[in-house]
Amino acid sequence: MKKNKNIGFVGTESELVAMTKDLDELHHDVGMPAMWEGVSNMIDNLQSDDASRGTSRRTFLMGVGGAVAGSAALLSVGLNPLHAAAATTQKPSPKSILTSAAFPPAGLKGDLAVAAVAASLENLAVYAYNAGLSAATAGKLGTVPPAVATFATTALAQHTQHAQAWNAVLAANGKAKVTVVNPTLAPTVNADFAKVTDVTGLAKLALTLETIAAETYQAETSKLSSAAAIGLSSSIQPVEMQHIAILYYVLGEYPGVQSASGSPLAFNPTNQAA
Amino acid sequence: MNVDPRALNELLDESQDLQADALRPTRDALDELVEVNRSATIPDPLENVDFHQSHREGVVASLAGAPLLAAAGGLALVGVLASAASAASSQDIQILQTAASIENLAVATYKTALTLPYIGSSSANAVVNKFARVTMNQHAQHADAFNAAARALGGKTQTKPDPAFVPVVNKAVASLSGASAAQGTLGVVGLALELENIAAETYVKDTVLVRSSTNKALFASIMGVEAQHVAVLLAVQALLNANAPQLISLAPGTAASLPAAAGSVGFPNAFYKTNNAAPATQGAVK
Repeated sequence: MKKNKNIGFVGTESELVAMTKDLDELHHDVGMPAMWEGVSNMIDNLQSDDASRGTSRRTFLMGVGGAVAGSAALLSVGLNPLHAAAATTQKPSPKSILTSAAFPPAGLKGDLAVAAVAASLENLAVYAYNAGLSAATAGKLGTVPPAVATFATTALAQHTQHAQAWNAVLAANGKAKVTVVNPTLAPTVNADFAKVTDVTGLAKLALTLETIAAETYQAETSKLSSAAAIGLSSSIQPVEMQHIAILYYVLGEYPGVQSASGSPLAFNPTNQAA
Repeated sequence: MNVDPRALNELLDESQDLQADALRPTRDALDELVEVNRSATIPDPLENVDFHQSHREGVVASLAGAPLLAAAGGLALVGVLASAASAASSQDIQILQTAASIENLAVATYKTALTLPYIGSSSANAVVNKFARVTMNQHAQHADAFNAAARALGGKTQTKPDPAFVPVVNKAVASLSGASAAQGTLGVVGLALELENIAAETYVKDTVLVRSSTNKALFASIMGVEAQHVAVLLAVQALLNANAPQLISLAPGTAASLPAAAGSVGFPNAFYKTNNAAPATQGAVK
C-alpha cells in the first residue's frame, strides 16, 4: 500500500453524494415500510392474548405513517437530521437522567420490558450524538472531518428511528413511551463525554455506546418470546454493527469486531451487553 | 506506508492464534448448549415437510433480489432446488445446513479472489488484502460453527457451497479474466458485497426462524459480523468508484481526507432488510 500523503478527495464527491441519496431514497421507499410492517406484526403478536386493548394495528400504522411523513417533511425543507430527531422525539436531558429512578418502568414485563430498555439505549445514543454534534459545532473538538460529521448525523437519525420503533410498540400496547436515557449507563457516558476533547475521543465514546447497543440486542435475541420482537431486534443489531465498523475505520483500526488487543473476531461477543 | 508482506503475515497469524484462543470458550459453550438443544428438540416429519414447502417459493425471490447473482443460470436451478430431498431433516438442521452452504461459497469465493494479483499479491491494496484474508477465515469459522450445530442435532455436515449461487459466482469470476486491476478489484468487491449481504439478510431472517435459543444466539453472533463486511465493502466500493483508492487506508490522517458521503455509505438502512435472504432450505443436505 502506498503511503497516504493526505491526498484529498478529488472531484468525484458528487458521485458519492448521489449514491448516498439513492440509498437514502431506497431506505425510505423500501426499508421503512417493511420495518413498520414488522413492528405492527410485533404489536399484533403481543396483543393476541389481550383483545380488550384499544390500540389497534390500524391505529398504529396510521400513527407511524404520520411520524414518517413528518420526518420526511422536515428533511425536505432543509432541516438536518439533528433537528428532525429533536422534533420527533423528546430530547433527553441530564435532568431526565437523574429523575429516572425505577427502570424499566413498573408494569412492563417480558418483551415490553426489553422494548423499554432498548428505547432507553437508543435515547442514550441520540443524546450522546446530539451532544457530540453540539460540541463540534461550538468548536470544542477541533477540526471535524466531513465524513465524521456525516457519520454522526446519519447514525443519530438511525438511532432516532430505532427509538421510535420501540416506543411505537410500547404505545400501541397502552404503555408510556420511554423518553429517558438508560439510567444505568448515563452517568458513565456523561463522565466520559466530559473528558472528550477531540474527534478521536468522541469516536471512541460512540464506539463504546454502539458496542453496548449491538451486544444488548444480540443477547436479547435468544430471550425475547415473540417472533416479531426478535425480528425487530435482529433488524437493528446489524446496523449498530455497521456503525461500529465505520467507527473503527475512522479511528484507523481494523474495521470489524475485535478483541481488546485488536484481533478481528468472527463471532460478536456479548460481554458488554447492558 | 511500506508494507512488509512477511511481517503482515506474521501479524495475521498471530491474530488468528488469538482468535482461536478467544473462540475456545465459545465453542465449549456451544457444545454444551447444543447438548441441551438436542434433548429439547423433537423433530416432527410432517412439520419439516411443511416448512420445506413453505420456503420453496423464496428461491426465486432470493435470486431475483441479487442483480449479479441473478444473471443467466441461477433461475434455472429453481426447479432442482425446489425438489431438494431435505424435508426429512428438522427445520433447524435445514437452516443450519443452508447457512453452512453460504459460508462454504463465501470461503471459496474469497479463496479464488486471493489468487488474483490485485487482491492477493503484495501489490494489492493492503487493507483489501487483509480484509479478504481475515474475512475468508471468519467465514470458515462460521461454516464450522453452523455444521457443528447441525451435527449435534443429528444432521449431516454441509461441505458444499450453496447450489443456487455456484454457477453465477463462477460466471462472475470468469468475467474478471483479463480485467484491469481497477476493474477487477471493483468486480471482486461487487461480488463479495452481494454474497455478504445475502449472508447477513439470511441470518437476520434465520434468527427468527430457528426454534432453539441456542441457534438463535449462534445466528445473532454472526449476522452482525456479515453486516460489518457489507459496510466495509460498501465503503471500499464507493471509494473505488470515486477514483480514490488511496483513501482505502488505515493510515493516520486518512479520516480527515475522506469525502463527507463516506461517513454514511456503509450503513444505508436504519433497519436491516431481509428481502434478499436465501430460502431457509436452499442449501440443506440432500
